[in-house]
Amino acid sequence: MRRTVLSATAAACVAVLASTVPAFAHGASASATPRPSAPAATPAPSATTAPSARPSAPAGDEPSAVPTREPSRAATPVPSVAPSEGRGQVGVVPSGAPDTGVTTGSTGSGSDGMLIGGGTAGALAVGGAAVFLVRRRRATGA
Amino acid sequence: MTHLSRRAFVTAALASLLVSCAGHGGGASATRPGGTHVSARSSADPANAPSTLGRSVPARLRIPEIGVDTPVMRLGLAQDGSVQVPPITAHDRAGWYQHSPTPGQTGPSVILGHVTVGAYGDGVFRHLDRLRRGDGITVRLENGGSAEFTVTSVRTVAKADFPTKAVYGDVDRPELRLITCGGPRTGDGYLDNVIVFAALSTTHH
Repeated sequence: MRRTVLSATAAACVAVLASTVPAFAHGASASATPRPSAPAATPAPSATTAPSARPSAPAGDEPSAVPTREPSRAATPVPSVAPSEGRGQVGVVPSGAPDTGVTTGSTGSGSDGMLIGGGTAGALAVGGAAVFLVRRRRATGA
Repeated sequence: MTHLSRRAFVTAALASLLVSCAGHGGGASATRPGGTHVSARSSADPANAPSTLGRSVPARLRIPEIGVDTPVMRLGLAQDGSVQVPPITAHDRAGWYQHSPTPGQTGPSVILGHVTVGAYGDGVFRHLDRLRRGDGITVRLENGGSAEFTVTSVRTVAKADFPTKAVYGDVDRPELRLITCGGPRTGDGYLDNVIVFAALSTTHH
C-alpha cells in the first residue's frame, strides 16, 4: 500500500523532471540557432548620430549625406540604388525597402520538431518509469 | 493493491499528458494573422490642422491598440544606402530615421521596428498590421512635448515595389510612418513591408 503510494509519487516527480526536457529542447534550439547577424547589435544609437546630422537648422535639412560608419543588417534583396540627397522634408531618402523582420529560429519547423520531440521523449520517459515501478512492485509482491 | 497500481498508472499517464502539453506550449510561435492589404488611404483633413511642433527627437512611442510602449532610438543610413534598422535583441526597440522630420514637424516622420527578431520571437511591431484607420499613436519627445497621431491607412506592399515617394515624399502637414515587415516569409526574412500612415491630431508642448 505504502509502496504503491510511493510509486505514484515517484512517477509524478519523474513527470515534473521530465517536463524540463522540452524546455531544454527549446532552449537548445534557440541557442544553437545562428544569430541573425553579428553586426546587428553594433549600430548603437549614439554611433549613428554623426555630428553633422544634428545641425541647428530646424527643418531636417542635414547637409551631410555620408552614410554612417556602422553597417546595419544586410538590407533587402531589392536592387539598391544610391540614396537620394534631396532638399525635401526628408534630408536623405534611403534606397530600397527596410529589412525589419528576421524569422530565423522563430518559427522554423526545426524548432517545432525539437519541441515535439522533447515533449514525446518526456512522455515516454514518464510512462516507462511508471511501468517499471509497477512491475517491480508486483514482482516483489508488495 | 492492483487498484492502487492502476491509480499510479493513471497518475503517470496524466503527468505524461502534461509534459506533452508543456512541450508544445513553450515554443516561440509566431503565427501570422492573415490578410495583407488592409485598408485604403484616406484623404487629408487640413481644416482642423493641429499646431506643429518644433524639432525634438522622439523618445518614446506608444500604440495602445497593439500594446506597444517602447523607447525610440535613432537610425541612420546603412552602408548600402538603405535605412538602418534597430538591432536584433530580445526586447527590441523602435527607431526613428534621423534624416526625417521629428514627429510633429511638417513632413513624414519615419519610425521603424521589427516584426520578429529571429530566435527572440516577436518584435516590437509584431502586430502593426492590426492597426486600423482611426487608431491612436502617441510619440513623446525629448523636450517633454508629445505628438498624437491618428492612423489614416495601413498598407502592405511588396518590398520590390516599396513606395518610396509615398513614405519619404513631402507632405503639407505633420505625418508619421511606421514601418515593419510582413507578408510571406522567405529564408530568414519577409517579402513585404507593412506601412502605417498617420496624421498629426493633437500636440502637447
